[in-house]
Amino acid sequence: MKKLAILLFTISLSFQGMAQSKGDTIISNDTAKLKLKVLYFHVTNRCNTCRSIEAAVRKTIKENFQSELDSGIVALYVINCELPENKVISQKYDAYGATLAVTKMFGGKEATEDLTNFAFSKIHDEDIFINDLKIKITELLK
Amino acid sequence: MKRATSISVFLIGFVMLFVVAACNNSTDKKVSDASDSLKASKDTTAPQKTSKDTSTVKSTQETATIKTTDIADKPVVKLYNFYITNRCAACIAIEEATTKTLNTYFATEVKQGRIKRQILNVDDDANKTVSEKYQVFGSGLIITRVFKGKETTADLTGAGFKYAKNKEEKFIELLKKQISDYLN
Repeated sequence: MKKLAILLFTISLSFQGMAQSKGDTIISNDTAKLKLKVLYFHVTNRCNTCRSIEAAVRKTIKENFQSELDSGIVALYVINCELPENKVISQKYDAYGATLAVTKMFGGKEATEDLTNFAFSKIHDEDIFINDLKIKITELLK
Repeated sequence: MKRATSISVFLIGFVMLFVVAACNNSTDKKVSDASDSLKASKDTTAPQKTSKDTSTVKSTQETATIKTTDIADKPVVKLYNFYITNRCAACIAIEEATTKTLNTYFATEVKQGRIKRQILNVDDDANKTVSEKYQVFGSGLIITRVFKGKETTADLTGAGFKYAKNKEEKFIELLKKQISDYLN
């Protein structure tokens, strides 16, 4: 009986871990063609503003850069920075909380621009947010 | 003889109890001092309307020993912690880290009235004017330098969300630098 309880507890913990990891998104279809990474990091307990930023980022990509995403020119990362398995990538992009960043790839190097201030100041108007992010991504893809 | 010894022991014990009690009182005072300073900074930040201006007068009166001309010749730094009604952990962490920064590094400037802080709910109609002025419609941390009628504003919202919860020391370092720059 005791063994069964331990087994059930372990299984429930495993499912909990899977559920948290399941929230992460990494779409990177062709590293050879990759020109730009769009990264959004978030914490485990999220507020509405943080969720809205993620939704607006996804919408921006879907409505304006879906073909670039499919071909691998653009990569999208949505990552929980508080999960242990994401520690390395979170530290790499200096993301310890909600963070929006775009990284331009050139000659094997990366140049990252932090857009977190932009994200939190513009998210109250999704249309403006999407339009401004679209302009920023378009500029970086040139 | 035995009686004299027991009286001596009793007296020593009494004196020691007195000393211990005195020590405890001084610890209480420190705690209450700390909470008072926190309270004072909260008071200057209390949701305003006209309290924004009166807090200036109040804090200046409280520190009567400081020459008003000295303060008038120096920049004033205003901090605004904006939040929405349903707050998340990161938003609360930003407010707490801001309080910690002010209490640790700028207690004197807060008392002098050179730093004024407000913690405002953007969902409250009373705060609409100030939140619109700084274009903040959700959680935000705005720092403004006011000197000779001119305002310069820095937005530390991004830094707050990035660091305040899980890398507080970095957030405090950035905030401390920004405030120090604006005080000069």
